[in-house]
Amino acid sequence: MLFFRALLAVAMVLCGLVILVRMAQALPAGGFAVLPGIVLGAAMIALGVHRLSLIARVRGMM
Amino acid sequence: MAAGSKTAEPELRRSVTPWGSFSWGYSDVGADIFVGLGLVLAWAAGASNVAFLFAGVVYVCIGLAYTELAATYPVAGGGQYFVMRGLGDIFGFVAGWAVLLDFTIDVTLFAWTSVDYTSQLVPSLVNSVHPWLHFGVVLGLVVGLCLLNVIGVRESTTFNGVVSALDVISETCILCFGFLFAFRPQLLVHTMQMHWPSSYDLMLGTSLAIISFVGLESISQAAQETQRPASIIPRTSVSLILTILIFALAYSNLALGLHPWHPITDAAGHPQQFWQIFPNNPDNQGKAVALLAAQVPYYGAFAALYVPVLGAVLLLISSNSGVFGSSRIAYAMSTSNLLPSLFARVDRKFRTPVISIVFFSAIAVVELIFAAAPALFPAVSSLYTRFFHGENGLDFLADLYAFGAATSYSFVFLGLIGLRLTDPLSPRKFRIPLNVPMRFRGERVEFPLIAVVGFIGIFSILMFTLFTHPLGRIFGPSWLLLGLLFYLAYRRYRRLPVLRSQPRDWRNAQTEILRRAGELELMDEYVANVKASDARRAGQGT
Repeated sequence: MLFFRALLAVAMVLCGLVILVRMAQALPAGGFAVLPGIVLGAAMIALGVHRLSLIARVRGMM
Repeated sequence: MAAGSKTAEPELRRSVTPWGSFSWGYSDVGADIFVGLGLVLAWAAGASNVAFLFAGVVYVCIGLAYTELAATYPVAGGGQYFVMRGLGDIFGFVAGWAVLLDFTIDVTLFAWTSVDYTSQLVPSLVNSVHPWLHFGVVLGLVVGLCLLNVIGVRESTTFNGVVSALDVISETCILCFGFLFAFRPQLLVHTMQMHWPSSYDLMLGTSLAIISFVGLESISQAAQETQRPASIIPRTSVSLILTILIFALAYSNLALGLHPWHPITDAAGHPQQFWQIFPNNPDNQGKAVALLAAQVPYYGAFAALYVPVLGAVLLLISSNSGVFGSSRIAYAMSTSNLLPSLFARVDRKFRTPVISIVFFSAIAVVELIFAAAPALFPAVSSLYTRFFHGENGLDFLADLYAFGAATSYSFVFLGLIGLRLTDPLSPRKFRIPLNVPMRFRGERVEFPLIAVVGFIGIFSILMFTLFTHPLGRIFGPSWLLLGLLFYLAYRRYRRLPVLRSQPRDWRNAQTEILRRAGELELMDEYVANVKASDARRAGQGT
């Protein structure tokens, strides 16, 4: 179960990274329009990292 | 110290797991996007994602503030308790009274949109087609929830958890399929550039976007019933805050850049973008997520069948939390002498605060009548058109919801700053980041910069609400003014300090709060901090 949850968290970080990179590529054409997308990508990475840190803490306690 | 003292009062605390704590908050805040998305798309148009971004950043600040406060003071009173303790009784009353407005609106607004979502599968419930039937069903739901709460039936934490899990999975699937098969980044940029709203509409949209993030009181309610809240609450709250933010930003970006699965046309047969079905169409505004889900390729065929049902259930849970929450806040305010003891009276037969539940449900029904009146009576409709920019029922409820949330959240930020200065001895296992160390009244304190940023953000949203909502700027301040007059009269009648605060022993109260929460290490740390502070002051005195 913990492994599955860690896998989901890693997937979330990767999705966030993909969004961030794609938004960064669109920055010259889109300008201000890509800002919400950049925040979305950053929030996904933050949530994934937060979940991973919680899982790591649980693993440390086991 | 009352560290070891026993109390005869029955304790509310029970064991809520981390997932239970998350799902409790999610079933409350997570339902908001089902209401907020359509309203924001209707007004903020091509800048809807920017409106959600602004409100979302403010929401993250609010969420962090609630997390710190709920972990430090795990009591169910929530915002009004933090403000009362940080700023004093009268400010605590104003914050609590604004929260009560939000809870009563919550009951009506979410019951209303629950019926709107159901209307996606049962067309006879569409408000514009059968307004009396729509009104009757919403009224029946409000009365039904009131009765369920009176006899003490609540949805279980397990039920909340199952619905929340189903919704998280469902929303993730909708967004994944939507972004993979229907999202066009060029269309998003084009929409934002070609359909950028006027400043007035952007302010209106931003003030409505905050309603997608209301319900953080549930964090403190969960803290009251969670074992070791100082450890559990920060873990679940951060996940909750980020999840809600991701969904709000993802939905708004997807809606603006969505290439619909089925062509959408206006009355004249011209092709439309997805977001263009919301302006001037309250029926669509009330069920935006269901409409978006149906437009997602492949998955939409399945989602169109269950999302309206899932949305309706989630919204009904949120509506129920309004009935339950208002009675609980009124109970907490009453025990602090901010409201008459009548509101804390528990019925002998049902063991529930019947008077509170019936009183605030009755207010919710009055709000429903105001909201439904333009659709039910043409004469009232022309009155609204003449004096209130033709606002409809959903707008009326959303106006007041945004006003109540912005007011109470503004005070919570001030309460956080006040508590950081006046109560530096309470151990804070979670602190919002970016603090400036300084000395205040001989104690070392940390001034929270995020609270200042958040206050500026939420205060500007409050100003947007007052500036752009013709109904909200009349009914919202009227609610506060009436409450304040009632408070002043009540305090005078009870011979309590009217403008100043009642003296309270916060040190003993804090020790007792930590003891009841099972945070014995923090309780010992707090007692040690108090002793060290007293010894330091005694040393300075000699």
